[in-house]
Amino acid sequence: MIDVTLFFYFGIILAIVGSIATAWGPGVNDPIVRTFNTEVASIGVCLVLLCYNHVLALLTLLATTVIISLILFRAIIRLEEMGADV
Amino acid sequence: MLYVPQEFISMYLPAIYAGLIIGFIGTMAIAMKREEIHILILTDIVGLAMIFVVSAVGTDLAEALILPGLVVELAETLAISEILITREMRKIEQDPRANLTKSSSMFPQAFSLDMEIMTTAPNFIALVLIAYGIFLTGFTGGAVAGGGIVLYAISKKARGLPVLMLDGIAGVSGIAWCIWIIGFLLFFVAPQYWLLSLFLAACGLLLKVASKVGLIGLLMREDIDKE
Repeated sequence: MIDVTLFFYFGIILAIVGSIATAWGPGVNDPIVRTFNTEVASIGVCLVLLCYNHVLALLTLLATTVIISLILFRAIIRLEEMGADV
Repeated sequence: MLYVPQEFISMYLPAIYAGLIIGFIGTMAIAMKREEIHILILTDIVGLAMIFVVSAVGTDLAEALILPGLVVELAETLAISEILITREMRKIEQDPRANLTKSSSMFPQAFSLDMEIMTTAPNFIALVLIAYGIFLTGFTGGAVAGGGIVLYAISKKARGLPVLMLDGIAGVSGIAWCIWIIGFLLFFVAPQYWLLSLFLAACGLLLKVASKVGLIGLLMREDIDKE
């Protein structure tokens, strides 16, 4: 039997590392790289929610993460096409 | 009293500290950045910190609080990204030197792949997502079914096909609010019909959230019409 707390601490570490990467990671001046780095942190949050047996919260987080990244990509692409400084 | 398992109690402090650390990182990065689009992306990180702090409670209450938080965050990101795009557009229009290109789209060129799976698989996946969302009901079902609607709209649009979109989708959300309020009122007026009122509230939320997510598809249609 694998210990649940192992996944819990791994999720916490993944979330912290992902948020540091989003804030100050390599190449984050490109907003698309920054958006991809938020996915790492959200996978960590998914693991934590899995440890807490929050199934509905996990499903909603997965669905909203996908939709939020679509919205952000759309915003980034339109801003870049308009020639705004991103 | 709410029952909280023993291991969740020992997980409480690490989760709270992790939430505080992540929130600190997110807010520090927001303070150091100037461009609005970067700040919008970093707001996601602060939302994740919120989820950590709420989920540390470890009961059903935590789950019930995470769901509206996530959906509100989604709506907020959508609204702020629209405001950003409109503001930049206005700035560039006022600048006489800038040349504003009229055509803009998420997918600049249509796919010309002639494979059967490109026409059948997106429809099937969208259908499965919408059916599963209706089965789940509530906030979660709304988000899943809305994801299915968006997938359908995008997969049609990527192939350059016209997207079927019902006008008056805003009216659906008004009706959904009415269903939700009737369900909520029925809880107090007639508690013996609790199952009926529960389903009224759940289906109202499903319609509400799914139609709001379907708005993204509507926005993409506006992108096509410009060309």
